Amino acid sequence: MSIQFDELLDVKGAKCPMPLVKSRKAINTLDVGKVLKVVATDRGSVADFQGWVKTAKNVELLDQETESDNGQDLYIHYLRRTR
Amino acid sequence: MALAEIKAKITSINAEELYAALLEGRQRFILDVRNADDFGRWKVEGRAALQTVNVPYFDFIEEEEASVAQVPAAEDVLVVCAKEGSSEFVADILKERDVNAYHLGGGIVTWGDLYDVRAAVVTDYGRIVQIARPARGDLSFVVISDGEAALIDPLRHVQHYLDVVNAAGAKVTHIFDTHAHADHISGGPELARLTGAPYFMHPYDAIHPIDMLPATLPYTYLSDGQTFRVGQFTVKVIWYPGHTLGQVNYLFTGPTGETFLFSGDGIFLRSFGRPDLGGQAAAWTPILYESMFARLPRHLNDDTLVFPSHFSTLDEGDAGGIFTATYGWLKQNNDGLKPRSKAEFTAFVLSHLPFFPPEYVEIKRVNAGLVQPDEDKASELELGKNICALSGA
Repeated sequence: MSIQFDELLDVKGAKCPMPLVKSRKAINTLDVGKVLKVVATDRGSVADFQGWVKTAKNVELLDQETESDNGQDLYIHYLRRTR
Repeated sequence: MALAEIKAKITSINAEELYAALLEGRQRFILDVRNADDFGRWKVEGRAALQTVNVPYFDFIEEEEASVAQVPAAEDVLVVCAKEGSSEFVADILKERDVNAYHLGGGIVTWGDLYDVRAAVVTDYGRIVQIARPARGDLSFVVISDGEAALIDPLRHVQHYLDVVNAAGAKVTHIFDTHAHADHISGGPELARLTGAPYFMHPYDAIHPIDMLPATLPYTYLSDGQTFRVGQFTVKVIWYPGHTLGQVNYLFTGPTGETFLFSGDGIFLRSFGRPDLGGQAAAWTPILYESMFARLPRHLNDDTLVFPSHFSTLDEGDAGGIFTATYGWLKQNNDGLKPRSKAEFTAFVLSHLPFFPPEYVEIKRVNAGLVQPDEDKASELELGKNICALSGA
């Protein structure tokens, strides 16, 4: 049951803080109401994205998922631009 | 100007440099940029004067002005994060605003794994080396005399002990755990396997107190009053139940009568080991009272140097990072040791029990050989500082 998304951001291999920095930039180019799917390999991104959306004024965290891709854990975040 | 230029070149410090700066009180401000949950779990702790502020790195991305405003511009700012990327990122933001900021190379993980080795006592017949893991407040010891080495409460990263013993050209002859530890994974069984030396433990601690299951590790069992020789030291085992039922203290006596007590989680420098980690505080507290006020004192004199296995704050150590005090000093200055009736003591203890970290039950399983964690799991179990002392004691 995956969420519908409008843009995909692949930050596999990127280490903290880059998954979040790139997500912020991507959100800024998104239209209001659109959804960004972020695919990361940095495990720390799970807690950091949860903390981030509390501060961020125009981002909502719709869902987070963990998938395994050939033995590599993927951390997936669905973000919506709210304004 | 010259000093500012030199300072400006520092972009990072490592864990060892951080420890020296904390001991000497040179690092006065730490900016921790991890998320609030991780920060709440554990952080770098120094002397009481150290100021630590948590502003997550994503706050700097969202609200740079307000975030920077939380950092004192006049201080040297150490920025800390989990691994190091975000701390470098934030330090760069601060540097652009002329704050002298630098980051902890390798992140807080390297601080957690730092071991600090220093000679605590040096005599012509032998010496005591203190091996500390400062982030956890864990202390352990190597006693060397005439080519023989005893290890006391060795921690999980065993190479540090082998290095000290090898550098001294000595051989490990005894591995002494004071008790079944709850806050960290013992290096004792692994060191016994690597060196062939016996791993000593009191039999009462070979049963997991919550599970009531027997340990599966090979111990050599101790008895109260048993004696050993380590080079020119004689070693006496003093059974000291209370923190655990099988805790012992090791009293080392030099050839000219000096005494050194390895008190484990019995007496600490400002407190003492909590009696509730076996889940039976009301039953074990009077037992601890007997140990602390009757069983132990008759073996000590006011000059006995006491070496505990934990500290709760860096302020317990001296300027050189050694954590010890004489028994005479402790009787005067450690509030927990002041004379009380058994009833007063029990009431005092039961009203000062700190938070019981749930992972402590699992760590005791590891130390009994009942579960075998991988490196990630072991590291996670040992996150943060020990909570083995009674609070407010």
